[in-house]
Amino acid sequence: MISADTWRHEVAREVCAAGADLLNDTWGGWDRRLAGVAAEHGAGLVCAHAGGLAPRTRPFRVAYDDVLADVLHRTLAQASRAARIGVDPSRILIDPAHDFGKNTWHSLEVTRRLDEMVATGWPVLVSLSNKDFIGETLGVPPEGRLTGTLAATAICAWQGARVFRVHQVKETREVLATVSAIRGEVPPARAVRGLA
Amino acid sequence: MIIAAALCPSPPLLVRELTGADPVVADLRDACAAAVAALVAARPDVIVIVGPGPDTTEWPADGRLNIAAFGGRPAQPAGGAPLPKPVPLAVGLGGYLLDQAAYTGPRRLHSVSEDDQPADCLRLGKEIGDTAGRTGLLVMADGSARRGPRAPGHYDERAEAFDAGVERALRAGDLRRLAAIDPVLARELLATGRPAWQVLAGAIRGTKLRKDVMYTGDPFGVMYVVRFFYVLSELRDRR
Repeated sequence: MISADTWRHEVAREVCAAGADLLNDTWGGWDRRLAGVAAEHGAGLVCAHAGGLAPRTRPFRVAYDDVLADVLHRTLAQASRAARIGVDPSRILIDPAHDFGKNTWHSLEVTRRLDEMVATGWPVLVSLSNKDFIGETLGVPPEGRLTGTLAATAICAWQGARVFRVHQVKETREVLATVSAIRGEVPPARAVRGLA
Repeated sequence: MIIAAALCPSPPLLVRELTGADPVVADLRDACAAAVAALVAARPDVIVIVGPGPDTTEWPADGRLNIAAFGGRPAQPAGGAPLPKPVPLAVGLGGYLLDQAAYTGPRRLHSVSEDDQPADCLRLGKEIGDTAGRTGLLVMADGSARRGPRAPGHYDERAEAFDAGVERALRAGDLRRLAAIDPVLARELLATGRPAWQVLAGAIRGTKLRKDVMYTGDPFGVMYVVRFFYVLSELRDRR
């Protein structure tokens, strides 16, 4: 499975031709032709929330009456439109896009209320690695954000996030295995303690 | 008649709770508090807040900033009273500063649109300035948000000269020069304060001023200036 990060339909067309399976559009469907490319090539699509911000711009005094309501409104609109124009619904994911069009308080609230996204039934993707909201929460530079990233990962996994876009694969895998075991969804790898 | 004016920037981080455990900009908050305290101490009959917003309009005097929209705790009015009407960020922060200064006198809240031309802004300023009685003006306005690679609007090499021009006009107390700021350039440089500066220019044009410099800086790539102007004499012949 190959995922390509892009918001441009021209790039999407090239990467799909080269074998990409998933288009990760973090800029919230800014390029209206991107979903059509996913449909054309049978690729999956990530429908993310950037608060209406233009690609590659930074949040400047962003405000929301209810940040999660805006996340739901924008990601669900993109997801239903993508399905309508032919993207396989089983290949559509929604992503709150932490940091994108959000200040740290907004990203923390989205994390805290992720279950509301999960409840829509669309599979939820999160991308948390080394993000600024972790850095600001802990007061640490990018290279010091692994612990915070993993804590947020566990919270999202517990609430039902299904896909994780990560920088630190092994550590994330261990967090997810632990969360799944706590939830009772998978057994421990090997259990003998107190059982002998 | 404008008797005094305070000029403050309008970043959400002026609200103490929004920067978390670290005060981050204690010096900027102190400067704003000092400017507003000086404005209140001038004993105006009314304080008029002017800040950029989506439309040019007057807001109810009991309007307040919706801090929750920026991630803060929602306001909890005493005794189950209705929530105050939310107003645009800059106007709301002006009200927040007045509340912090424990000012309870009359206030008026004006937002002014980025789409308004300099002449419109000057006219609004003149209207405010021509009102009878002793009026204090609280202008909420920021310079360019494109000062450096980490700035909200990324770096634009024109930002420094633009802000320096504004700063010189403020330092000289020659507020008429603010009237000449190009709205197109200001918009390109994300200098959101432009219409509010021009309201200031229209309101106390042609007067002798005492000028207090309280803060000049751009810790996050956005130009913040805090000033207090005390009107020493009106030169009405220039009006």
